Amino acid sequence: MPRNNVFSKVERYYRDYGARAKELKAQGIKVIAYLCSLTPIEIITAAGFLPLRIRGDTREPITIGDTKLETIACPFLRSCFDVSLKGRYDFCDGLIIPHACDSITRTYSVWRYSIGITYSHFVNLPHKVSETSLKFFKAELTTFKNSLERFADKKISDEALAEAIDLNVENRKKVKALYQSRKSNPPPISGAEIGKILTAGMGLPVSESNELFDECLRQIKLKKEIPLKKRPRIMILGSCLDNVDLITFVEDAGADVVVDSLCMGTRDYWRDIGSVDDPMRAIALLYLNKMNCPRTYREKVGKKFREDAEARFGDIGLLINEFKVEGVILYVYRNCDPFGFEVPARKEYLSSLHIPVLYLEGEYSSGAIGHLKTRIKAFLELIG
Amino acid sequence: MTDIQNNAGRGRRRGHATRAATKIPYMVKSSIIDTLKAKEKGKILAYTFVYCCYDEIIRAMDIIPIWTENYSGVCGAKRDAERFLSRAESLGFSRSLCTYALCGIGFDQWREELGTMPQDAPWGGQMKPDLMLSSGQVICDPRYKWYQAVQQYMPDVPIYTVDLPWPVYEDDLDLPSVESYYIEYLKEELHGLVKFLEKHTGRKMNWDKLSELVDLTERTWNLIWETYELRRTVPTPMDTGDAMNTMVPILYMMGTQEGYDFFLELNKELKEKIKRKEGVISNEKFRLLWGGGLPPWFALGDFNYFNSKGAVFPVEVTYRVIEPINDLNIPNTNGPVERIAWRWLRYWTYWYKKAKSRPGSEPDVERLIQYIEDYRIDGVVVHLASSCRTAHLSLIWQLSQLKKIYKQIPCLFLESDMIDIKQYSKLHTRNMIDAFIEILESNKEKRGNC
Ligand code: SF4
Ligand code: SF4
Repeated sequence: MPRNNVFSKVERYYRDYGARAKELKAQGIKVIAYLCSLTPIEIITAAGFLPLRIRGDTREPITIGDTKLETIACPFLRSCFDVSLKGRYDFCDGLIIPHACDSITRTYSVWRYSIGITYSHFVNLPHKVSETSLKFFKAELTTFKNSLERFADKKISDEALAEAIDLNVENRKKVKALYQSRKSNPPPISGAEIGKILTAGMGLPVSESNELFDECLRQIKLKKEIPLKKRPRIMILGSCLDNVDLITFVEDAGADVVVDSLCMGTRDYWRDIGSVDDPMRAIALLYLNKMNCPRTYREKVGKKFREDAEARFGDIGLLINEFKVEGVILYVYRNCDPFGFEVPARKEYLSSLHIPVLYLEGEYSSGAIGHLKTRIKAFLELIG
Repeated sequence: MTDIQNNAGRGRRRGHATRAATKIPYMVKSSIIDTLKAKEKGKILAYTFVYCCYDEIIRAMDIIPIWTENYSGVCGAKRDAERFLSRAESLGFSRSLCTYALCGIGFDQWREELGTMPQDAPWGGQMKPDLMLSSGQVICDPRYKWYQAVQQYMPDVPIYTVDLPWPVYEDDLDLPSVESYYIEYLKEELHGLVKFLEKHTGRKMNWDKLSELVDLTERTWNLIWETYELRRTVPTPMDTGDAMNTMVPILYMMGTQEGYDFFLELNKELKEKIKRKEGVISNEKFRLLWGGGLPPWFALGDFNYFNSKGAVFPVEVTYRVIEPINDLNIPNTNGPVERIAWRWLRYWTYWYKKAKSRPGSEPDVERLIQYIEDYRIDGVVVHLASSCRTAHLSLIWQLSQLKKIYKQIPCLFLESDMIDIKQYSKLHTRNMIDAFIEILESNKEKRGNC
């Protein structure tokens, strides 16, 4: 397929997110909407459903959502809720909400009753990483599996679970390969393009997402017109970024966003499930231990802040080295407690690596990103 | 921290306080002062959170708890939180985060930088702890992020995080099928805490003492329940303005004889008041339910304002964190840790059965309905504190669901913060209260005309 075709497909799926899910729904497939990277999608897929992550919309002003939900929730969640109330996910059959952060957990009832989806389930992730928390989480995942089985009116077989795990392992590998292409300097593909590919893939059944990623990988390899000019290599660090507004903005301002530490970015895809002898345990490990999200507490390491910071943020340092990052934009939404409480620690960690960092407090609206223009430009000038 | 404490600091007392409640500020002040002297006496100090369920474990190990939310509340009530909040902001913490946490972090960082208490710190300041005990899971994110953030400024203080889960309500939740693994995890977490404390104090847990303290807590819960139920009387002998004081023994003195004795005294006092038909106000016109939200500690005078308009609050959701022990059906067990685990789980799931029996209901809504019935409530007031998501998200929904599945009842939303005074407008708040009272009055007239 010529490059333009696959990328226009990506563009279409990015803009009209959920279109494919609607088509499949018309063919009789049940679609389960979910929030957050902590929802174990393998189990949903294994039940024969299509998991569809709920996205917000930075271009849609939050209106009715704010009449039903307090504005003290994070703006990303408020946008997701607002577009859901406006019917964007009305075609979905179920809703899964994990115990992620207060904004998500505390609004579970509001979601359940307001958006008119009859089936829902809350998955209670522990906050700690330990052998006992893993045991608890595995039991909780079994409760989740049982609930899905009741809704599907059929058992989830071990084979189906194994297949769903495999497909997602493939998916993560392909995303890693997409990221690898950005190691070259200058990178053959922009950060915004990668962001769109990932988002488009997120709205598809995992098997189709794998095909889409393969096509993209092929086209990237064939790509001839690699830009000549080297530009500052930037990493975006933050929470739930499900659009490319900020990345586009940074790239238009003269830099390359070469890597990230974001949900819907490396936080989701940089995980390796490991041994799957016990599939439910493997899934529990994947979402609890292997997802480096600040909502999961990691036991303090050492007696010096530096030692603990290394244990908590070392994965970011590795990406910085691997992708030869020259500057970091730390982008955290207002009202986001898990990330907000880590801002000074993350800044200090990055400065210990001698990496310039720009902290921006986000509002989840394309207009608000425009207001950050001057600061982003000044930061890029500083890096040179 | 309470308005009485605040007013005590300024030499005033809340107009309608019970005798028992007026003692609270001195109790709080002396407990804070005790923590300042504790290290000299060889005591071990631990930062911890209210509502953590393991109070008895801390007490049985003879560790002195420092309730960090309390100290932030003290700063707020003394209208002296701003300098600590802006300090936290200057360190890079967003002002939108929990202001209790921001105030605490700002204070700690400052104290560590100075090597002494910040100048004129309210009530002498907050001591550096020997240990920090976080408690994560469903309650709130700041409860494990706060101390993790603080360790940047005092990395030598060991932290233990206790996961305290309970199953979130679902219509189709089969409670018995999940309880066993919840209890298992809770027990392991609490035993983990005991091990952590033993390791860092060099002491051994005295299990008999722990059992005694668990018994004492259970008796205290029952006594609080019985005492608060006295407030059903018309006119009510005590309102929420006082309960924002009497929360102190509930939250900070559980598992102590002092806490138990306090409620004995309050119980006696309320019974005497009832006998004398003495209410919070003599012309009780409207009975209101404080339906949720942490109070603005710097503006508790607003309760007096309600009172001046003939409105009282015989009941509140906030800080009434007990249920009658016998109704929790805690299974027979001799293990104190197991008893704590069951008490915790059954407390959180107490309203689930009721919620299930009313379509469209939820435990929080069911509790509001019960209080409205039991306490003959005319209207509901909630306070939306802007920086605390956990206690305030879903209040709009709860009240609209209440009207949908139960009855139309006037509701008032007040907005500000627990301690960030910048979020508060006295004029606006009083206007809102006035308008609400007018609605209550016209409702009453309509009822009278029927
Ligand atoms: S941005 Fe923060 S508060 Fe919002 S959903 Fe994500 S983790 Fe939760
Ligand atoms: S977020 Fe709310 S519940 Fe949690 S510590 Fe802050 S004030 Fe307390």
